[in-house]
Amino acid sequence: MDFSYEVSRSLAACEGALLVVDAGQGVEAQSVANCYTAIEQGLEVVPVINKIDLPTADPDRVITQIEDIIGIEATDALRISAKTGLGVEDLLERIVERIPPPRGSEEAPLQALIIDSWFDSYVGVVSLIRVMNGVVRKDSKVIVHSTQRKYAVERLGVFTPRPTEREELRAGEVGFLVAAIREIDAAPVGDTIVDAGVPNVPALPGFAKIQPRVFAGMFPVESDDYENFREALQKLALNDSSLAFEPEVSAALGFGMRCGFLGLLHMEIVQERLERHYNLSLITTAPTVVYEVKLQNGETIKVENPADLPEPHKIIEIREPIILANILVPQEYLGAVIQLCIEKRGAQKGLQYSGKQVQLEFELPLAEVVLDFFDRLKSVSRGYASFDYDFLRFEAAPLVKLDILINKDKVDAMAFIAHRDGIERKGRKIVETLKDVIPRQQFEVAIQAAIGSQIVARSTVKAYRKDVTAKLYGGDVTRKRKLLEKQKAGKKRMKQVGSVEIPQEAFLAVLQADKK
Amino acid sequence: MIPQATAPTASGPIFTALPPLSLYVHLPWCVRKCPYCDFNSYEARGPLADIEYVDAVLRDLRSELPNVQGRQVQTVFIGGGTPSLFSAAAIERLLRGITAELTLVRDAEVTLEANPGAVDAERFAAFRTAGVNRLSIGIQSLRDEQLRVLGRVHDKREARRAVELARTAGFTNINLDFMYALPNDSAAGALADLAEAIELAPAHLSWYQLTLEPNTAFERRPPPLPADEVVAEIESRGRSLLASAGFVRYEISAYSQRAHPSAHNLNYWQFGDYVGVGAGAHGKITLPATQAIQRRAKTRNPRTYMETAGAPEACSAQRLTEPRAIALEFLLNALRLVEGVPQQCFAERTGLPLEAIASPRSEAIDRGWLVDDPARLQATPAGREVLNRLLELFV
Repeated sequence: MDFSYEVSRSLAACEGALLVVDAGQGVEAQSVANCYTAIEQGLEVVPVINKIDLPTADPDRVITQIEDIIGIEATDALRISAKTGLGVEDLLERIVERIPPPRGSEEAPLQALIIDSWFDSYVGVVSLIRVMNGVVRKDSKVIVHSTQRKYAVERLGVFTPRPTEREELRAGEVGFLVAAIREIDAAPVGDTIVDAGVPNVPALPGFAKIQPRVFAGMFPVESDDYENFREALQKLALNDSSLAFEPEVSAALGFGMRCGFLGLLHMEIVQERLERHYNLSLITTAPTVVYEVKLQNGETIKVENPADLPEPHKIIEIREPIILANILVPQEYLGAVIQLCIEKRGAQKGLQYSGKQVQLEFELPLAEVVLDFFDRLKSVSRGYASFDYDFLRFEAAPLVKLDILINKDKVDAMAFIAHRDGIERKGRKIVETLKDVIPRQQFEVAIQAAIGSQIVARSTVKAYRKDVTAKLYGGDVTRKRKLLEKQKAGKKRMKQVGSVEIPQEAFLAVLQADKK
Repeated sequence: MIPQATAPTASGPIFTALPPLSLYVHLPWCVRKCPYCDFNSYEARGPLADIEYVDAVLRDLRSELPNVQGRQVQTVFIGGGTPSLFSAAAIERLLRGITAELTLVRDAEVTLEANPGAVDAERFAAFRTAGVNRLSIGIQSLRDEQLRVLGRVHDKREARRAVELARTAGFTNINLDFMYALPNDSAAGALADLAEAIELAPAHLSWYQLTLEPNTAFERRPPPLPADEVVAEIESRGRSLLASAGFVRYEISAYSQRAHPSAHNLNYWQFGDYVGVGAGAHGKITLPATQAIQRRAKTRNPRTYMETAGAPEACSAQRLTEPRAIALEFLLNALRLVEGVPQQCFAERTGLPLEAIASPRSEAIDRGWLVDDPARLQATPAGREVLNRLLELFV
């Protein structure tokens, strides 16, 4: 799910795909999902069993699995080892034999699909393109279809995998194009590049925009970083149209962005890129899903941020997104996985055995999945279970909003929506977690969890009485100085909410509350 | 064109005077390593190579001389480890070597650290004859059960005896180290302990809160420590107890009878200079020629130290020139003193103008953490309690 957008657009550049399955591990849930995407896009799928050099390899079992679980013919699947090179030549022959040559004509006017674009600070926008028809040449003029802007082609080439410059790219080829495009959004993924001399050519179908399903607020710790943060998001969105964002203002955290992701992993990757490549220090709120809220006035609104949930008396019902989870798990962990799904309010929809591997289908509220489902699934199955999902529908459920108050002030960025059953227990756990992660301050800090005006849990971070080093002599001075400097740096990563300093982890306390 | 002298950079330190100089000697062996101790100390196995070690220390000292030429030494501190494990002959050799290489001021304070259980009358008398005029005895507690938890090798009886022996040997300037807020400690227990310490009538008491330091056995397996409220009660009642017995608190954990503060430690806290010799010893020397403060550290391992002492590989040096770092290290020390320091002390010892800390200083005054007196740098009682937070303003 998290990479479905990358997968589908990469497949759009191809005529066929190899379904590579680990001879020891067998079929994983993501393989199933991606294989179906390839089949839907009309690609020829060639199954390959890899890692047959491993002592644990069992290619016969894996072939049966491919047939049982994915449902494609696999009896003649090649058995190879990419590591030792065994069978790789046969595989190259198989590709030539089975995968159809590209359609399209070199004589027709140019149509090239932008599969990917990224920003290079030296040359500007670099686009990965698939030439569907015609030929694109270096120094020729091209037009980006959606904007009708004209650019001169400065560089062309293919990845071998090293970038290798070429004079031209012909129909059927995939390669990179640099055309002195300086604006980040001037060569959007899915757009069509045409010849400036023959501009009246229809655009290629492009890619369907995928709806983000998981949302979180992201706020720069330093408010001066807001502009850099916005630009960084724009650059990332250039080749990731599944990443959505719009400005958000939080009373607690100031100016930030409400960001939409395909899943939790997608969110983590985006956050990591922002922090590492763009050197930003960010506070991310706990992930949440989109709720459909039917109001007394007949309106139905979408709520992406728990803080925006209208007052209870204005609401008729709250509907949450339900997904169909496809889980592949070895038989011995089946019980534990089913138990986990039931704990997460799941309803079993299917169960199919293939040897010792079991394919399990569950309907689950996405809200339960975005918290810590994936980690828990991996832990109850010792890492063997794999998991993918599709969005099914919105469904009404008894959901309520839990507010967190710090020294009596509601912290909007900590509010969350959850099922009424067990919400008090969750509230208590969050409050306990917060008590542990919020450092002692000069004054007492009261932490409360509330539903409406009713307090369901409370706890206190006691004020520190003193903070002084008991002894200091000649030998410790530099070490003590560095310790102070480190402590101060740690505090810079905290957010001042009211008069209380709150570390980043505190905003993810709701994630902790579901564990254990 | 006439070549011009390079003006010192406006931002770096400029020293116009040299601070007082002390000497620290580290003797690293103990009978046993205590679980709370993070000093560079080692359990002594087999006979102590004390003479060999003293010779290494003196080689080390000779290699330091070029940095402190012409300067007199105000105080000497022989710390450890347990220096009292060293034979009288070794200590005598050490002090003779020191006085041969350096000029000590008249009546210089010469302290030696001792631990009860590793002492006898003759040895104390010989230390005194050798030139030691102050003893610092690590008693820590007079409760046998606490002494066991702290991993000390002595009991209450031996502790009292050590003080007696010191007096018999003629020592009048005696410090006792005591700790409070011990594992499972109660206010009543800690205060009774302190009352007994006071009864021993030392000239100086170092009364510390037990701290779990990194890289100690206590840090790896933390013992149950008393609650904050208990610690606060121990401190407030303990300080009154000390005050009514005539002890003046002059530093966070240091209490002295009139006219008996530790001159050696005062020099640290007033950001004076010190030469450090011995395994793992640290030194701090102001070098006006390079307008920097040099910090030096010696090889920690005693064996390696004995092999390399005096050679460049036994010593790592670091030049401190960054104004913020110098200012912070100064305050880290000076604000520990109850009286603080006169404001001119800052410029003299750091080589920096007072304006360098003007803005955090005024913030600290606004918060009630620094005394609002332009003539002094002094923490208020409230500021002293949260000294680390106060210092963070200057980071």
